[in-house]
Amino acid sequence: MTGTTLDTTVPYLNIADPSFSITSDVVHEARERSWYARTNYGIAVLRYDEVSKLLKHPKVRQGSIAWPAHNGITEGPFVDWWNSWILNKEGEEHHRLRRLMNPAFSPKLIARMVPRFQALATELIDNFAEPDRCEFVSEFAEPYAARVIAILLGLPESEWPIIARESATLGLAMGVTFRQELPKIEQALFTLYDYVDELIADRRRNERDDFVTRLVQASRDTDKLSEQELRDGLVLLIFGGFDTTRNQLGLAMQTFTRHPDQWRLLAERPELGRNAVEEVMRVNPTVRWVTREAVEDFTFQDLEIKAGTTIHLFNESAGTDPRVFGEPSFDITAQRPPHFGFGGGAHHCLGHFVARTDMSEALPLLAKRLRDPRILEGAEWLPDSGNTGPVRLPIGFTPGS
Amino acid sequence: MKITVDMSLCQDHGQCAIAAPAVFQMNEEGKLVYEANPDDSLREEVEQAADVCPVQAIFIED
Repeated sequence: MTGTTLDTTVPYLNIADPSFSITSDVVHEARERSWYARTNYGIAVLRYDEVSKLLKHPKVRQGSIAWPAHNGITEGPFVDWWNSWILNKEGEEHHRLRRLMNPAFSPKLIARMVPRFQALATELIDNFAEPDRCEFVSEFAEPYAARVIAILLGLPESEWPIIARESATLGLAMGVTFRQELPKIEQALFTLYDYVDELIADRRRNERDDFVTRLVQASRDTDKLSEQELRDGLVLLIFGGFDTTRNQLGLAMQTFTRHPDQWRLLAERPELGRNAVEEVMRVNPTVRWVTREAVEDFTFQDLEIKAGTTIHLFNESAGTDPRVFGEPSFDITAQRPPHFGFGGGAHHCLGHFVARTDMSEALPLLAKRLRDPRILEGAEWLPDSGNTGPVRLPIGFTPGS
Repeated sequence: MKITVDMSLCQDHGQCAIAAPAVFQMNEEGKLVYEANPDDSLREEVEQAADVCPVQAIFIED
């Protein structure tokens, strides 16, 4: 962070401490004292209204572009790919890529995939190794998230382990071991490049009525999309949709094991699936923070924010802000103000209609089949910051039908 | 053609302004402004804008 003058009476959060929990009482207490906190890397915004405004503020940009450099990684294939991300572009270049990608994620197109999502969820539950327990991540969340991407991109669903394995390795770039793992991460990137190169070559030979064909045509027939942008974009779509959905499904199970009455209600009323996704993402979002960076000096609520300041928007803290949501509660029938689990503004999650639709189909089916779920011994979790979720989540349940 | 935006739903994400910049813009405060009766030649991009709106707040009336 550069230069923003901070009042030392405002709370300080050490977000680089490995034991720091972004959903802890420390954060919630800080929220009651101040709308923002000081941190190791800029400011953290803790309340709903301020998060909502700063997320879409005209004086900020998306803030993750500097992440590799913060980790001492300034060149090489990973950095080239990272800089190609639509998330890390701004202005007209961002808009051009966004306009090209949007049609793949049209809500009308996604609605047609609902029967396939339902069949997939049912198949995975039917195939659990044990009748009354499962390892939720490897037996459900992971194959579900990966096969949804395969369905979306017109890839053979049987190839889902490639998507899962290589995306998970790429995901190490978001964590504290980024630098040590770089050779492995770059190898995963090359594997995914080879994979999408084959996909592109296939669609060149055999055009289909699908999204990848449309991108291939845009790259061939117009100057709207270069060959490299096409490869980079497809790898990003595979990566971006996998980790987040897998983690969010695991977090949904965690939340519902704490609210068994709500799980029973969801089994009885599957039409609440959509609202259940919103409610889970409000109180237990996988994207624990969204990052912005000030592009010029500006004043916000008497705080002078200097150009270059990193602004972390704390999602769970905003989503449980008592000024907006009252006493802590979890109610899948409630109509609430929107959460920020999909970010917002120009960089609002491109895949949110898919994520909302696939999770809102999966959760009621799970509620029906996995009655009275409880987390068994052996669960392992990612750190409670950045992007979080279970690595392993053994669940016991009473089989339902 | 005639457009309405349900401003009780609109969250100013600005996706419509990316999809159809001739019709939807974000002003200096980051708030949506739009042309309610755009020329019919812009129909395709307006439909894209309605489609992409994260909160589905854009309605094309005719």
